[in-house]
Amino acid sequence: MVREFKLPDVGEGVAEGELVSWLVAEGDTVSEDQPVAEVETDKALVEVPSPVNGTVRELHWEEGEMVPVGDLFVTYDVEGEESEGPSTEEPTASEDERAGEPPGVDSPEEAQASADDEPAGDAGATGAETGEVEPPEDRVFAPPRVRRLAREEGIDLSTLEGSGPGGRITAADVEAAAGGSDTSSESAETETTPEESASDAGADSSSGTADTAASDTETAGAQTTQTTTPTQVESADRDRTLAAPATRKLAEEEGVDIDAVPTDEERDGEPYVTPEAVREYAEAQQRAQEADAEAVSAGEPVGAKGTEFAEGERERREPFKGVRKTIADAMVESKYSAPHVTHHDEVDVTELVEARERLKPRAEEQGIGLTYMPFIMKAVTAALKEYPEMNAVIDEDNEEIVYRDYYNVGIATATDVGLMVPVLEDADRKGLLQLSSEMNELVTKARERSISPGELRGSTFTITNVGGIGGEYATPILNYPESGILAVGEIKRKPRVVTDENGEESIEPRSVMTLSLSFDHRLIDGAVGAQFTNELMEYLENPELLLLE
Amino acid sequence: MVVGDVTTGTDVLVIGAGPAGYVAAIRAGQLDLDVTLVEKDAYGGTCLNDGCIPSKALITATDVAHEAGNAEEMGIHADPAVDLAGMMGWKDDVVDQLTGGVEKLCKANGVNLLEGTATLSDENTVRVSHSGEGQGSETLEFEHAIVATGSRPIEIPGFEYDDEPVIDSTQALALESVPDSMVIVGAGYIGMELAGVYAKLGTDVTVIEMLDSILPGYDDDLKRPVKQRANDLGIEFHFGYAASEWEQQGDGIRVVAEAPDEAAADGGQTEAVEDDPLELDAEKVLVAVGREPVSDTLELENAGVETDDRGFIQTDSQARSNVEHIFAVGDVAGEPMLAHKGSMEGQVAAEVIAGEPSAIDYQAMPAAVFTEPEIGTVGMSESEAEEAGFETVVGKFPFRASGRALTTGESDGFVKIVADDDQGYVLGAQIVGPEASELIAELGLAIELGATLEDVASTVHTHPTLSEAVMEAAENALGHAIHTLNR
Repeated sequence: MVREFKLPDVGEGVAEGELVSWLVAEGDTVSEDQPVAEVETDKALVEVPSPVNGTVRELHWEEGEMVPVGDLFVTYDVEGEESEGPSTEEPTASEDERAGEPPGVDSPEEAQASADDEPAGDAGATGAETGEVEPPEDRVFAPPRVRRLAREEGIDLSTLEGSGPGGRITAADVEAAAGGSDTSSESAETETTPEESASDAGADSSSGTADTAASDTETAGAQTTQTTTPTQVESADRDRTLAAPATRKLAEEEGVDIDAVPTDEERDGEPYVTPEAVREYAEAQQRAQEADAEAVSAGEPVGAKGTEFAEGERERREPFKGVRKTIADAMVESKYSAPHVTHHDEVDVTELVEARERLKPRAEEQGIGLTYMPFIMKAVTAALKEYPEMNAVIDEDNEEIVYRDYYNVGIATATDVGLMVPVLEDADRKGLLQLSSEMNELVTKARERSISPGELRGSTFTITNVGGIGGEYATPILNYPESGILAVGEIKRKPRVVTDENGEESIEPRSVMTLSLSFDHRLIDGAVGAQFTNELMEYLENPELLLLE
Repeated sequence: MVVGDVTTGTDVLVIGAGPAGYVAAIRAGQLDLDVTLVEKDAYGGTCLNDGCIPSKALITATDVAHEAGNAEEMGIHADPAVDLAGMMGWKDDVVDQLTGGVEKLCKANGVNLLEGTATLSDENTVRVSHSGEGQGSETLEFEHAIVATGSRPIEIPGFEYDDEPVIDSTQALALESVPDSMVIVGAGYIGMELAGVYAKLGTDVTVIEMLDSILPGYDDDLKRPVKQRANDLGIEFHFGYAASEWEQQGDGIRVVAEAPDEAAADGGQTEAVEDDPLELDAEKVLVAVGREPVSDTLELENAGVETDDRGFIQTDSQARSNVEHIFAVGDVAGEPMLAHKGSMEGQVAAEVIAGEPSAIDYQAMPAAVFTEPEIGTVGMSESEAEEAGFETVVGKFPFRASGRALTTGESDGFVKIVADDDQGYVLGAQIVGPEASELIAELGLAIELGATLEDVASTVHTHPTLSEAVMEAAENALGHAIHTLNR
């Protein structure tokens, strides 16, 4: 029988994911739980497993497309199963009702209703078999000609954002989508090394057109893109041009250099430019730019590796999306919502260094690499307990301050695709070794992009280790809506004034670490921020205090 | 075509030459498919022969007579004499001209025409029996079939159309004399249109309706002017009653109608509250309680084509039945039973068979009722739009504020536009008033193109025309109609 598989919720409550690549092809035999696709959600790359043993009948999306959760994703042929039982993975109520019935529906009202609900899967087996494009579920504001074009191109209009007035979808939008989906499928297939994926997962356009071209024959849009090569506009380059004042004004408005507008007309032996010529030239320029942009987004003139520039290329445009976009949105929200204050200090961690040196071989015996991070986490959770507002958030909607009696520490992690913050839950209740091994695992997963969205959520305070790369101080941006984030610098040997038991001062080489604590000044006053830092320093200077925690 | 047992073949078999079937056949012919169109009766189907066209002819003709006789206000004093045979003759000429045109168009597009009644033998074979004694039958094999057998008037128990005083809508369009009195069972659009025709011809018309109002399914504000005009024409209504039997009574008949408990209970109208059966004397009784699909004569089961329990063939958005190469279009494929919906489906089916990426994906289905005044609707009503999740904004313009409406002497009714408050997209429109059936087309285009209120309002409309009311209704929704107060 035919089994329709809808994109499941691949993270916690994510609404859609970008289809990065198909791991199977139509006609392939798959076994249950075998990954069939890679889908990128807000922050993680997730493999979508097959729910059945069977054959892939139809892959409903192109690589690079955004797939809404709950939309038809893959159609499988399942051998040996009879057509009773739910026909889809995530049955809705109406499907359940219909599943056991013959294809005929009881009353026209019901037929009407079900046709309205689900134009795709209805009407017995015929819809799925023919594989034609069905009208989208959502009301789409596109004229009939555009709807037909979308069917020809196999584009689901409900996935497009219209560029026409008021968001109406135009023929150009459909053509662009048809061309766009083609190119991103190329990129995903060639995305093999981390270096390449570093530029951006879905969108790095790249080489490899030769081997993918053949597989893209069904996407008629490929041709469309190729035919819209940049329009060549012959620009003039004069020193002097005659034109009426209104024409000059028009040129200014259009952003056109009047000396560059080509013309055959002359007045008194001088080249003369008409308003029409200006308009034509401006339009041609714009078309050329659009074509350039389209070509760039389609990946044509981009360098061989996606991160390099082609010869002679001075700029390259890449879609601003995926992880990069998510990071950007989060940063903007944080910086513009919470007034940040950053408190800096330096802490003598000579004893901590010694303690860690002593414990390190013990940890290694258990196969765990002990870093400073677990100590810092313990110190942080201990300090958070003293200053609960640092572990609190503002619930703006309800105008309440939410204090939390749990301590989930986020670890800001640099990965090839950008910043991620895996979360160590209940850090206060875990031992150093457990923290160490869990953290190492999470960081590795984040870097390999196998981390699940659930493991990137729910932190109450974040630590970022900027010391690994260098520098003294940094002003971290809050992992909003959290109220505090601590940046720790590199532990360096520095001269410090040390006072011995007798009150004698001397300068000694000591191990020193810098701390930069950013906090939400709405909730936390400067004094509290400083006191929290002092508390933290107390623990870091005297790590045996952590034993009391 | 060969008569006898010789089997011939065709790419596309179309069964039924109504507005769904003949359009499918012509479109298939245009797409160079080998197409055979089987019709048992008359080209053009119900629409051309027994429905839309003859009824509109009679509506117009009786309007002319009625208006001429009621134009004292305009200074016209006349008492037109109606020659019913002449009127029917003119109507028949119109029908003949159109059905002849359909036949010519089919031939010109290479459609093979075959007279007879089709029954399916299996999923690729049809038997066509020719009418008339000894005319025999023939067998055709087909690659694809498009079932377009249409619908027929529903009969109610006790009122068989074979009985002389009981008539259906088809017979009502071909009466030889004007009855003195007529009971019409059913106040749907067919009953209401014909009630107007006969009331204007001078018949005493009484309408019985089981539900509590005329034109079930239409918004109350649309019905109001229609009901008012019907009352003015002297049409009598009894709501909450169902016709149960009739008996011969002197020269005429007596129709007995009862109030079913549930109808009486929620009837709303005071007449329906008493339980006494209603006895209505009349010359004729016209039964117009709806139409049912013609899917029982085809032996669809031989081809494995399934129908629902009302007899409709279920189809997908490509007009395909549960059997992949058999399509169904028009009335037989389900509500709404509208000729233009059938024609659209017919085109889609032909195009899908020809391999084109066609689909039934209209945004809005227009409908018209040719009562007086007319009703035209397209897309969503206000409540439907709200149910669909839209924040709505509504604009209304009364025809009494339209200069042109006043000059036609028909100024009842209004134009109402429903739009999405956010972006201003036109979602639906309802018009009751003069030429509502024509005026609605502009708004259908607006909906299909995704036009906004501002687009409609900013389109210059000719003065003085009724279409200005459409523009002003859009302006009213935007809060700046000129000729009516804005809310």
